Amino acid sequence: MLVQVLLTGVLTGGVYALMVSGLSLIFGVMRVINIAHGAFLVLGAYLSYWLFTLAGVDPILSILVIAPLFYLVGVGVQRGLISRVGGDAGFVVLLTIAVAVSLEGIMGALWQSTVRTVRTDYTSTVLSFTVGTMPLRVPLVRLGGFAASLLILAALYLVLTRTRLGRAIRATIQNPEAAQLVGVNIAKVKATTFGIGLATVAAGGAMFSLIFSFNAGSHVEWISKMLSIIVLGGLGSLPGALIAALLLGAVENLSAVVMTSYISPIVFYLILFLVLVFRPQGLLGTRLRKS
Amino acid sequence: MTFPKVSRLWFGLGLIVLLALPWLFRNPYYHLLGFNLWLLVVTASAWNMLSGYTGYKSLGHSAFFGLGAYLVAITAARYGWNPLWSAPVLGLGVGVIALLVGWVLLRADGSAFVIASIAVLLIFRLLALNLRGLTSGAPGLSQPLPPWSPQFSRMPFYYYMLGLAIITVGVSGFIRRTRFGLGLFAIRDDEGKAASVGVATNLYKVLAFGISAYFMGVAGGIWSYFQGHISPIFTFDILNDVDMVIASMLGGLGTLWGPVLGAFIIVPARDLILFRFGESQIHLAVFGVLMILIIVLLPNGIITTYRNRRRRRAGRTSAFAGARTAAEMTEAAQKADQSGPEKPVR
Repeated sequence: MLVQVLLTGVLTGGVYALMVSGLSLIFGVMRVINIAHGAFLVLGAYLSYWLFTLAGVDPILSILVIAPLFYLVGVGVQRGLISRVGGDAGFVVLLTIAVAVSLEGIMGALWQSTVRTVRTDYTSTVLSFTVGTMPLRVPLVRLGGFAASLLILAALYLVLTRTRLGRAIRATIQNPEAAQLVGVNIAKVKATTFGIGLATVAAGGAMFSLIFSFNAGSHVEWISKMLSIIVLGGLGSLPGALIAALLLGAVENLSAVVMTSYISPIVFYLILFLVLVFRPQGLLGTRLRKS
Repeated sequence: MTFPKVSRLWFGLGLIVLLALPWLFRNPYYHLLGFNLWLLVVTASAWNMLSGYTGYKSLGHSAFFGLGAYLVAITAARYGWNPLWSAPVLGLGVGVIALLVGWVLLRADGSAFVIASIAVLLIFRLLALNLRGLTSGAPGLSQPLPPWSPQFSRMPFYYYMLGLAIITVGVSGFIRRTRFGLGLFAIRDDEGKAASVGVATNLYKVLAFGISAYFMGVAGGIWSYFQGHISPIFTFDILNDVDMVIASMLGGLGTLWGPVLGAFIIVPARDLILFRFGESQIHLAVFGVLMILIIVLLPNGIITTYRNRRRRRAGRTSAFAGARTAAEMTEAAQKADQSGPEKPVR
């Protein structure tokens, strides 16, 4: 029973890891907490829902279309809006909230408030197998989502470690001034990172549309979940975020069983609050201080 | 310096006009608009006392608005307390709870503070949804109707909120003139330096948080009586915070009259947007885009931008400073011409 709960939790956590990887990357490079990330997640989910219902494209395949699209949107948003707001970090947070509210309005107008989800032929397929004497049941979508997420995260890892761009991104995360001194074009790295961040959340959104149901207002709940994950992992630390995603996926499933599922989100909010206040550097990460 | 300098005469005249307005415009719709206007003046000014003066931008401040609303609604439904007097009293309770929350929350700063403050709001909302014995959960709580004739139903609320708005702006203006207010501005400009010259930064921040939350709580209490029925989703709504933030920023963050001016622009604009686009959720998008435009184009707000522009214009003619007559001006101009290289014109 416990193993079953934890297994489902960890599989969900894999999808969470993909969803938050962009958020963490964006914070690392730009020191910007992108509150609109949840709204972009839901937008990605809606687009793959659209592609599925209108054109019959499988959500996992639809990533090939929406991820590049989101990349362009991300570069545009960073260049056109975020880079224009200087100074206080608080202003940038307010700006991303404004973007989130705008997106919620647009999505609500386009798709109404009906809760949607993608139902493919394999949605209700459940694999069951036995380990030792323990029977385990795994829904196919969760397994598929987990596998696809790992694949994309591996690709992201290769980009970050094996390419010039990845090196520039990592250099900027470590020390923006020093990176600029050795010839990294910071403005370009920031725009590209924002684009990559949104591309990953588009992929996360496609997976999300298979597993969860959503409407335009869902982004508030999900951005809180994603924030508590990257905050717990340590802001700006990608490995930290991935570990925290698996951890919280498991904790969430467990707390939904122990408490009622109505009150269990409080675990996320409390983690968010307590970690930010008492250990702003999270599990692995740098301190988030003004100076 | 307060801006604009309001003389007693103008203040008196203005007050008479504001008191007379509900009688001149008898349509209840205008009374609703007026109530909403003063409500936003109160909440935006209260928000500004914390976030404008200290620079700590809270986006969960409507947690205290909602707390006030629920305390008043619960005591009215259970013990029959009249919200008109219970709101300012229970506001003290909200203030005390806020002191405790602020004491913990204000250890974070910058973006961490913004996010943690949102977490506070979400925790309050979840509690309101789940403590069913107290709050009756998602369906919400109803209150007894006001005892006065339905014919006037909204008018007393208008006057009450007007009074609260005057008190709030008064307190906000008073704070600016005290050592305490100076300390808050010092925290905004550079917290580390402020602490090093002896400002008790932690105490000051927490106090500002509590005072600000007191007014939020009272406003929430009166609002819940006005509404007659409250539910967690709309009471603990981050969009309430968005309204306060837009109003304060549009008028001028950290100025005394900025939130008031902002509220006078935002409330009619919001009403117009709701009227034009209210049937679909596109009105949210219009708010969002409005907020984006304000942050990108006018981050300092109307009052501060205007003041800076005036100051710059004054700076440009600084060579003439102190010159009273035309002859003195010419003389000053000649001196300026002779003395060395030209000053760069900003």
